Amino acid sequence: MESSSRGIEVRGVRRAFGSVLAVEDISLTARPGEITALVGPNGAGKTTLLLMLATLLAPDQGEIRIDGVDPVTRPREVRAHIGWMPDGFGTWDALTVREVLLTICAAYDMRTERARTRTDEVLALLHLGELADRRARVLSRGQKQRLGLARALVHEPSVLLLDEPASGLDPRSRIELRDVLRGLAAEGRTVLVSSHILTELQEVADRAVIVSRGRSIDVQTLEPDGSAATVARWRVSSLDTERLRGWLDDRRVSWRPDLTATEVDVVGEEAAAALLAELVRDDIRITSYAPSQGALEAAYLAATEDRQ
Amino acid sequence: MSAHGVWTVAALELRQRARTSRWPAVLAVWFVVIAGVTVLTWLAINSSSNDVLAGPTLYDVTTFLVLALGMLVVPSLTATSINGDREQGVLATLQTTLLTPADIVVGKLLASWLVSLVFLAVSLPFLVWAWVSGGISIGSVLASLAVLALVLAVVCAIGLMFSTLTARPVASAVLTYLAMAALTFGTVIVFVLSFFLVDSREQVRYYGVPDSWWEQHQSVTPDDASSEPTVADCRHLTRETEVIHTERIWWLLPLNPFVVVADAAPGRDVRQTTSSGGFTPMRYISIGARAARAGADTRERQECYVGSNAPEEEEPLQSGPVWPFGLGFLLVVGAGASAVAIRRTRTPVRRLPNGTRIA
Repeated sequence: MESSSRGIEVRGVRRAFGSVLAVEDISLTARPGEITALVGPNGAGKTTLLLMLATLLAPDQGEIRIDGVDPVTRPREVRAHIGWMPDGFGTWDALTVREVLLTICAAYDMRTERARTRTDEVLALLHLGELADRRARVLSRGQKQRLGLARALVHEPSVLLLDEPASGLDPRSRIELRDVLRGLAAEGRTVLVSSHILTELQEVADRAVIVSRGRSIDVQTLEPDGSAATVARWRVSSLDTERLRGWLDDRRVSWRPDLTATEVDVVGEEAAAALLAELVRDDIRITSYAPSQGALEAAYLAATEDRQ
Repeated sequence: MSAHGVWTVAALELRQRARTSRWPAVLAVWFVVIAGVTVLTWLAINSSSNDVLAGPTLYDVTTFLVLALGMLVVPSLTATSINGDREQGVLATLQTTLLTPADIVVGKLLASWLVSLVFLAVSLPFLVWAWVSGGISIGSVLASLAVLALVLAVVCAIGLMFSTLTARPVASAVLTYLAMAALTFGTVIVFVLSFFLVDSREQVRYYGVPDSWWEQHQSVTPDDASSEPTVADCRHLTRETEVIHTERIWWLLPLNPFVVVADAAPGRDVRQTTSSGGFTPMRYISIGARAARAGADTRERQECYVGSNAPEEEEPLQSGPVWPFGLGFLLVVGAGASAVAIRRTRTPVRRLPNGTRIA
């Protein structure tokens, strides 16, 4: 493992709590300038992995490097680099939003002047300006999530570890979160996001690491539009379903009924476009034609098929 | 550990405490309880016919009350400090910053100690009242304040340690109170129960009327008036009796914070043994603890009670003060407790105790 490399490197990490094996064997790479998604069902070990990356837990086996530094032997150096946003975190209820951020700045040894400027910047970035002097206690769940992200950003970390940042956010805040994350990656930071909300990740992530039962299963490189160059399902509706299905049978395109519509397997967007052109040419009257599930969703379901 | 880091944590703690509205009420109750007991004490002394100074009694009662209440209130400041933060998920937020475990633990310790000093300050008027009432020196008041402040710091540290050792705040609060009980009652109980370990039958010297005199005189002429012994009949003798060597177990006593405070700052000079009345528990405790340290009295016992001759009341054996040992012990305990707490807040964690959550 190259020690000078930036970003996150995880190799064969394992972590058990007593007899419970939370993380069995996870490997992943998250590069600077990219958003890496960590996807997996509940209990797959995502949060445990993030705790190890956040210098709170030591792995039983395997190696972790954050910007080339080992969090087990040199946690303090790693802490200067990372911004961690925990899942379902608490906050100091009695403090105001601004005080929370100023306290974090002080904990990162920032000078008063700098702390003030950074706090104002982060408040503006996450649209928390109006709430700056409210007590954290009175914030809604979504507002608390934004405060959590502000807390992770205030010391300008080069690596961001975000555990379920979108949970509890309203649609508008989600779109804003997406833009914030994109902006952070564009500044050359490494962003690792865990989430269940696949469509959301699909829109924002450059690559996705799928974990299940404590193992990293699959890495998907996502196209800018969110699709992947793998088999996906497209959902086709026609005014004449019988004729459509007969046509597909003639061409040996595999399909399955999906309520009143029909799902077909297509390899890549090129193939999907070609299939649509043929359907139109043969005068099969199509009313809708769209990917039935995101590429990430498809990959996720395929990877976790045998599991509950 | 840096001053900036410690103060960051302490300021955070103090700000949170200041904003939870219960504290003014708790301080008010504290003030009222101490005021009530002090005023009752003062009335009781003034209603008694004999002419005693109220100062020493007021001072003793107030000091012990402050210590007792302090040992009840202060654990609640720290005993849930770290596992409570863990439960709320705010400890990890600090642990992932540049703050060291020592910053976090010492900062929390400092904050809770400052709060306990506020309690001490609220009780200050009553100590001043005792001083104004006369009979004690300002030095005593200052010494007792200093020792009380140190003892409360140790109590804070013990609570903090337990809050890092258990997952649930209830468990650490109970353990802290048990530790307080062990120091306060446990030491005295173990001291008394250990007597059988250090007692022995020994020859002791006494000066009195020998048994043989009674045999000679009373058995022959029981009604003879001349059969009363005189001083000339007293001899220097020995007899076998039970001796308890408390000098071997005296060190159990100054482990008790009450003994430390009593011996470090008795309202009255311990050497001034002629009692002038009044209820002064600190003085009795101090004399008792020093006598225990001095151990078995090997001096000849004066038992020549003949006619109107009564031997002079002997002063109890004196030894050096016992409080330096106790205070030293408590400070070592406090430092040890803080060290344990720092160790237990260190991350990354390898072994995680059952039921503990990190974030």
